[in-house]
Amino acid sequence: MKKIIKIGILSGKGGVGKTSITASLGIIAQQDHEFKPALVDCDVDAPNLSILFPPRSPDKVDKKEITGTLKSTFIENACIKCRSCVEENYCEFDAISWNQVTDFPEIDYLACEGCGACKVLCPEHAFEINPVKSGEIISYVSKFDLALTYGKTILGSTTSGKLVSDVKEYIKNLESYSDLDLILIDGPPGIGCPVIATVSGLDYVIAVTEPTPSGLHDLKRAIEVIESFQIPFGIVINKADLQSPFQAQFKQFMLENNYVILGKINYSEDIPIAMSHAQPVVIENPKSEASRAIQIIFQNLKKNIS
Amino acid sequence: MSILKPKIICVTGGKGGTGKTLVAVNLATIFKNHGKKVLLIDGDVENPNTYLLLGAKLKSLANVEFFIPKINNEKCSMCGLCAENCLSHALLKVKDIPPIPMLNLCSGCKLCYKICPDNAIEKDSKIIGTLYESEKNEIKLMLGELKPSEARSAVIVKSLMQHLDRIIKNPNVMPDVVIIDTAPGAHCDVEELIQKADIVIPVTEPTRFGLLDLTRIIELITLLNKEYRAIVNRASLPGYKEEFSLELKRRDIEILGEIPLSQEVVESYCQGTPLMEDPSGIYTSSDAYHAFNQIYDNLLKWSDIQK
Repeated sequence: MKKIIKIGILSGKGGVGKTSITASLGIIAQQDHEFKPALVDCDVDAPNLSILFPPRSPDKVDKKEITGTLKSTFIENACIKCRSCVEENYCEFDAISWNQVTDFPEIDYLACEGCGACKVLCPEHAFEINPVKSGEIISYVSKFDLALTYGKTILGSTTSGKLVSDVKEYIKNLESYSDLDLILIDGPPGIGCPVIATVSGLDYVIAVTEPTPSGLHDLKRAIEVIESFQIPFGIVINKADLQSPFQAQFKQFMLENNYVILGKINYSEDIPIAMSHAQPVVIENPKSEASRAIQIIFQNLKKNIS
Repeated sequence: MSILKPKIICVTGGKGGTGKTLVAVNLATIFKNHGKKVLLIDGDVENPNTYLLLGAKLKSLANVEFFIPKINNEKCSMCGLCAENCLSHALLKVKDIPPIPMLNLCSGCKLCYKICPDNAIEKDSKIIGTLYESEKNEIKLMLGELKPSEARSAVIVKSLMQHLDRIIKNPNVMPDVVIIDTAPGAHCDVEELIQKADIVIPVTEPTRFGLLDLTRIIELITLLNKEYRAIVNRASLPGYKEEFSLELKRRDIEILGEIPLSQEVVESYCQGTPLMEDPSGIYTSSDAYHAFNQIYDNLLKWSDIQK
């Protein structure tokens, strides 16, 4: 069986260009005859890759409801108003309170973790734990012939991390992902649960940053997470020529740390303009400086993953 | 006696990197410049950046601890009740030995501790993050920081909000205005912070990504029954602005103000001095400076904050 290389694009800080870079790398990888790539968007809170990769045929879009999240339900008939649930603090997440109006316990749906403590501890069995709809997974072949799969949370359903794991599990059984050798995964911002779920099991990470104090601060925290999984990574510096009093400090950090730098992309209006036409910059303007910079990044990436 | 309560403003945005922290820090600075007592809360516990933009030094306030079960092997009768009832599958039961805790799966619900008939599960804890406080240029700052490779950011947010509750109940330290900066996204951490607010300011940018993520965060804000007005950052970004403005109009999204692309913003951002702090007066004639003042005026008109 052919080995599939899974590459995640992460950054810590949001808005540094993860999605733009993922999109262009996907196109370049497809044009490169050595690879059969596909895309995955694990930023389940703000899945944006589909804007640049709409479906080739709208009637061939697979949607799957995900009901992974567990939540508690209160059963009024069973309750004898002993108040043990609130008085004995069954819930460590403060999701149960006494509603003075109804004179029954009330579950804060958002705070509920579905741990089942209330169900087990209530002597009258007045709580039930049930799976609820937490999001959906959407999968199709895009207009550029690249397959795209992404997850989308339902607002207020919590557990973004769980949905990320569901997305990664889902593609394992997809026919359109069966004869691939490269999967590019657009990651969520931050370093928390959804990022950890994204990073787990990757073969390589592209860490995108920009030469600003917050860009570097968040990159360092993302690197700590990536290193805790012992996954090799390379850095892409976006907006590399930003006129910033922080440049000297930023360059110093990169020099001192000896990380792999896959490449730099200078600030260019070509990227937002391509984006405004819902196109990856390497499609809209393949000769632009930005496109050439991303080509170089891809060549360096190839060397690092082979 | 009237009960005083500070006005709580939540700055959020859905998409990352639209300028949430920039707006939060500069709004805090303008309020302070107008003589208000300001408390800035950084609720982006995965990547708190407000202190970098303020140039503030952090002082540790409290560690945030998280329950982990510790098995007392001598007391354990190996009945398996804990593992049977753990919906997170965080207790692995193998025949003839006490359960093995799988800590990365543990939700911290303490059910095992509560139901063990042998009292063989003891409460232990680990530190998953830290709360910090700071003060810079008369702005009070409080933030939470999740330890890298820990997943439970919500616990840090909750702990941060408990501290905020204490502060706004104490008349001696009560601020006039609280500004909360959130993480990107529309997940539970962001939701908890929006829930706390009187008014919400989503910050966006005139791109297709900006629009999609703005509509998602507005859906959440509406779900939580909060009033909001948006700020369009990098408003002079070429390509999509016209269509973007039309889309906002079509969706009846009200705008609090626009901030143009600006070298002054980048410079002050990277120097760790808010643009609106401007100690040497070099930014006062810039477009961005005027834009922030306009936003402040609009904010006063919109909310009932006294001048």
